[in-house]
Amino acid sequence: MEKQRGLIYDGYPSREEIVSANGWPSEERFARGPVAIAECVQEIPCNPCEAACPFHAIKIGTPITNTPRIDEDSCTGCGSCVAACSGLAIFVVDKTYSESEALISFPFEYLPLPEKGDKAEALSRAGEYVCEGTVVRVMNPKKNDHTPVITLAVPTDKVDDVRTMRRLVLPEPGKGFENVEPEGVLDDDVIVCRCEEITAGEVRDAIRNKKATTVTEVKRRCRAGMGLCQGRTCGKLVSRILAEELGSAPDTLTGSTDRPPVRPTTFGELAGTKKEV
Amino acid sequence: MSQIYDIAVIGAGSIGTSCAYYNAKKGADVILIDAGDIADSTSSRSDGNILVCDKQPGFDALFAKASQDMFPGLEKELDYNIEWTQKGSLYLTETEEEFEIASRFCSDMKQCGIEMRMLDHKEVLEDEPYLAKDIYGGLETISDGSVYPIGLAYAFALAAERLGAVLSLHNPVVDLKKEENYFSISCENGTILAKNVVNACGVRAPLIGKMAGLDIPIRARQGQILVSEQTFRVARRKVHEFGYMLTKFQSGDYERPVSERVKRNEVAFVFEPTASNNFLIGSSRSFVGEDIRSEIDVMQALAERAIRFFPVIAGIKVIRAYSGLRPFTPDHMPIVSGTAIPGFYIAAGHEGDGIGLSPITGKCMADIIAGEETFMDLSPLSFERFSN
Repeated sequence: MEKQRGLIYDGYPSREEIVSANGWPSEERFARGPVAIAECVQEIPCNPCEAACPFHAIKIGTPITNTPRIDEDSCTGCGSCVAACSGLAIFVVDKTYSESEALISFPFEYLPLPEKGDKAEALSRAGEYVCEGTVVRVMNPKKNDHTPVITLAVPTDKVDDVRTMRRLVLPEPGKGFENVEPEGVLDDDVIVCRCEEITAGEVRDAIRNKKATTVTEVKRRCRAGMGLCQGRTCGKLVSRILAEELGSAPDTLTGSTDRPPVRPTTFGELAGTKKEV
Repeated sequence: MSQIYDIAVIGAGSIGTSCAYYNAKKGADVILIDAGDIADSTSSRSDGNILVCDKQPGFDALFAKASQDMFPGLEKELDYNIEWTQKGSLYLTETEEEFEIASRFCSDMKQCGIEMRMLDHKEVLEDEPYLAKDIYGGLETISDGSVYPIGLAYAFALAAERLGAVLSLHNPVVDLKKEENYFSISCENGTILAKNVVNACGVRAPLIGKMAGLDIPIRARQGQILVSEQTFRVARRKVHEFGYMLTKFQSGDYERPVSERVKRNEVAFVFEPTASNNFLIGSSRSFVGEDIRSEIDVMQALAERAIRFFPVIAGIKVIRAYSGLRPFTPDHMPIVSGTAIPGFYIAAGHEGDGIGLSPITGKCMADIIAGEETFMDLSPLSFERFSN
């Protein structure tokens, strides 16, 4: 039997998954200059890319678990979305760089950062060596919020495979992570539950004014965790707010009740009939 | 000596919170006790239907209608968004025979003053365009509505608290003794004294009854529900199959043309749109003790039955399944009455109707305890009826 490919088998998406979830720019579009490619194939509640694009070229819409689609004609390849994607799943490819080389821009959150002109080992989605590349740009403005964007020049025939570079120095064992921001209390207007768009303030109101003492009790009062992802995304944040408000240790709080199905599944699949179109 | 409350309501579901509210409104010193949270058990695992259409003509229908008539004013009175909507409800009939049974039911209900009308094949398809094209006909009930059931319990509890009631949550009752003039209620967090006790514990009412020496014939009848993702409006209001009546009351000779899987799980199609653009799919029935796990066989039967009536549902996603326990009595009627023990009252056993019947139950319980006359003769709800 042929080995199956894809995110759940390999840990990175296959070309087929990407094309089906996000589409792929046409050769004609590549010939016109830089263009963004989303490689975001999981239906999770996430949409910062949609707001990050100054040209409104990225569409998620509702429900928020839709995968992003990029309109190749509106996209200018500016790269605003690359640093905005919390899943590090958007890239910009420019196949018009030179006769023999193309550019790939990717998010890179490892220190130390390379410098312009450095040689780097270009790696595939699987993290395997593809070819040598040259760093042509290192972008790390404040608005990138600690997600630098590196641009590598690689041979044009390799650019569809290259998605990152090998980090320059491996950390000592036990080191390598540093807090980039101090831990703190979330502002009241921060959205905690993305599926239902419930803010930290609404969670606090359920605890302070409506007697909620557990994740489930918060959920029943303000719907945090009642959406498509069933609290898989916000459960930990709600626990954290509960712990802060009640002065208890997070590990003493009861989580919400797990219920089937593990992932959303259609009524048709459940009934054993074919999905209707 | 600690305070002696006028009334201790045990159980903070929709029934208990309503009893606490209406008694507090009469000026009584009330304490509301629950082993867990407000709406912790059946009230958080139900749908939010406020129906008269599924009641039996006569007392059952009139009692339900009196409760339903209280809902339009509740949101303002309780100062809480309980998501009350009143769009009516629609029964579907699959066959000519079912249509005939429904027509007789419709005329009996109309004689009780319940507004209903039969819809023929063409009318029912116009009413809900996504219906399967072979649906024989329908029966519309004009006054039916729905609420967010958990919100209703919060609304009653918080309003009771504003009137001075004490909420004692996460405080399980472990024993109950009748002293000369009051009850001594031993709870995990200490002893509570009260002149009167209302047992509003739903499926757990027999446990509290036993502490008082009463044998309360309530059993847990489990029901399972599927929740959809947020989606387009498949149907504009509550839609269910008329066969639901036949499975609820386990009556009649009519056999529905259904699969083995639907039959063995006593599944009857119920569709309820929610204020948040999801919908709920019910319903099933079984006696499995206090087991509230979802069963794949039941989930499959629910999905199958939903697709039979609305084929478009096949492509919509299920995001959650849950189940709850209906407090079932042998004659499908709740207990709302005093008992042979002076000061010990029961408000429990509403099966699948507890949300809808909660306002009238709380109001009647307050009238009964205050020694006032209730709006109608409540002998069909007496605990005494089970003593023979």
